[in-house]
Amino acid sequence: MANLALKKLVKAYGQTEVLHGIDLEVADGEFVVFVGPSGCGKSTTLRMIAGLEEVTSGTIEIGGRVVNNLEPKERDIAMVFQNYAIYPHMSVRKNIAFGLRTSKMSRPDKEARIDEVAAILGMTDLLARKPSQLSGGQRQRVAIGRAMVRDPAVFLFDEPLSNLDAQLRTQMRLEIKKLHQRVGNTIVFVTHDQVEAMTMADRIVIMKDGHIQQVGTPDQVYHRPANTFVAQFIGAPSMNMLDGQLVDGRIRLAAGAPLEMSVARPPSGASVVLGVRPDDLAPTDAAPLIEGRVSVREPLGAETLIYVETASGEIVAKADGRNPPAVGEVVRLGADPANMHLFDRDTGMVLT
Amino acid sequence: MQLYRNLTIRQKQIAWAWAFLAVPVLFYGVIRFYPTGNAILISFQDWNLLGSRTWTGLDNYQKLAADPVFWKVFGNTFLYLLIGTPLSLVLSFVIAYHLDKLRFMHGFLRMLYFLPFMTSAVAMAWVWRWFYQPVPTGLFNNFLSQAGIPQIEFLNSTTNALPSVLAPAVWAGLGFQIIIFMAGLRAIPVSYYEAAKIDGVGWFTVLTQITLPLLRPTIVFIVVFSSIGFLRIFDHVFNMTTNNPGGPLNSTKPLVLMIYDTAFNAFDMGYAAAQTVVLFLILLVVSLVQLRLLRSD
Repeated sequence: MANLALKKLVKAYGQTEVLHGIDLEVADGEFVVFVGPSGCGKSTTLRMIAGLEEVTSGTIEIGGRVVNNLEPKERDIAMVFQNYAIYPHMSVRKNIAFGLRTSKMSRPDKEARIDEVAAILGMTDLLARKPSQLSGGQRQRVAIGRAMVRDPAVFLFDEPLSNLDAQLRTQMRLEIKKLHQRVGNTIVFVTHDQVEAMTMADRIVIMKDGHIQQVGTPDQVYHRPANTFVAQFIGAPSMNMLDGQLVDGRIRLAAGAPLEMSVARPPSGASVVLGVRPDDLAPTDAAPLIEGRVSVREPLGAETLIYVETASGEIVAKADGRNPPAVGEVVRLGADPANMHLFDRDTGMVLT
Repeated sequence: MQLYRNLTIRQKQIAWAWAFLAVPVLFYGVIRFYPTGNAILISFQDWNLLGSRTWTGLDNYQKLAADPVFWKVFGNTFLYLLIGTPLSLVLSFVIAYHLDKLRFMHGFLRMLYFLPFMTSAVAMAWVWRWFYQPVPTGLFNNFLSQAGIPQIEFLNSTTNALPSVLAPAVWAGLGFQIIIFMAGLRAIPVSYYEAAKIDGVGWFTVLTQITLPLLRPTIVFIVVFSSIGFLRIFDHVFNMTTNNPGGPLNSTKPLVLMIYDTAFNAFDMGYAAAQTVVLFLILLVVSLVQLRLLRSD
């Protein structure tokens, strides 16, 4: 077990820099999830930690040891791949044993270790099977087993759930989280799915275009987004963004009464963006923020999402599922000012 | 038309498939299956191409079994197979394996290896024949004499002739096999190798535990394909030993050449047909055995 530290980590392919100086500390036993859109550099970072990609500059430390020039096998890591990378011509047992091939353990010890891992993953009766006889979730478990069998300091997961169907994904998500609680190794997990990130992580690292946007607990990145990108990337449906002007400490939107809001950091100009999550925005008559006409309803059962055409563009709000406003109806929407976020429109950075 | 309209979609598809297949099926029937059947028939007859056919029963086969030339030729044919197939398999795999890792001049080298496959076997045989001549004509013997090594009788020795004839045949097939091997290598997902790298296993383990097992279908194809090629070898032998086809002393003669001789020099069609049937059975058995051996896990 070990902590992991990335210092000023840069990756360039020829002239093209894809990772621009990443700094990150991962504590021993922590579950960190890298999340971001395609091409944000999250997988590249993971592959650099694994030793599958060369480091252009900066350092990677695992357990206090700089591993930049160490072969993957010397780094004490294990990786689970998106396509599982389990060998179709080997039985489950042989696949898991492959992780121990270079280990100095005695044969009976290896066999015992394989049985132990299989028991943890609930695969004891599948050990003799070939991968072609397994379901997607079972194959995924074999891949995890092969990584676990070596008891590495750090587990690396490269989008391991994206090939599974929705139901199985939810189930495996839970299993991996339970597994982490049980074995307690450090985990770095890469995904493009913000729900996976929110549900599994101790801390989330949100990346975009080779930069870290924010590092924080799921609670922090959801309730205290550092910028408009994080605010809109985390949470579904996305946060509503209303353009406004900051005049004398009050925010003027395209229509409606000016809004009092305390600003912690001085903005670069008067242009601001007011962010409100659909979950925090509901039809109300007391102190409405904005009003508009309902264009579409999406019933979700307990609540109904309503799409409302306003002077500031289309915004999404949540109404009671039992008694939602009709399409075409004019509604007034309000939110608790404590749940509103104010961003600088030029820099995108949070102001509150 | 009413009849056609009442068919199910599946039946319509079958009707169309047969409509398109009818011509090739007919064609195959006339130029493949009819002559094959006829050949089997002739193998039980005596016929000199012009006179009438007479039934002889198993005479042709008995003659074959007692013919020392046939057993020599039978042995030669298997020598071509047993040397040629493994040699070309190993060579083409080694070349493909390394060529696959090479980026620099990759396309050019691949083209160089593929070129012999496109070259006419006749032209190639004559060029190699020239290579094998004694000094001062032959290329190889010139090299040898410059290096101070005694001359080698390539095509005039009963021991050297067969390998010498086989060499250009192996070389000619190499390009095709390399291309097939490279396609097979490319089809193996990169993550298999990355996973192995993280597990820290060496290149030999990767080769024997991952690459070769995953190439099994490719290997089966190449083995069967090249075996059939070597069992049917003819043009290289014929062109490199024209003044004494299959010589010296039948040491290079393959079965196909013996069939050719029997049929078109001796005009003993029944005997030639019997040899053809034997060759057909050999091809069938070898292919089936290989498929069985290499396919099963």
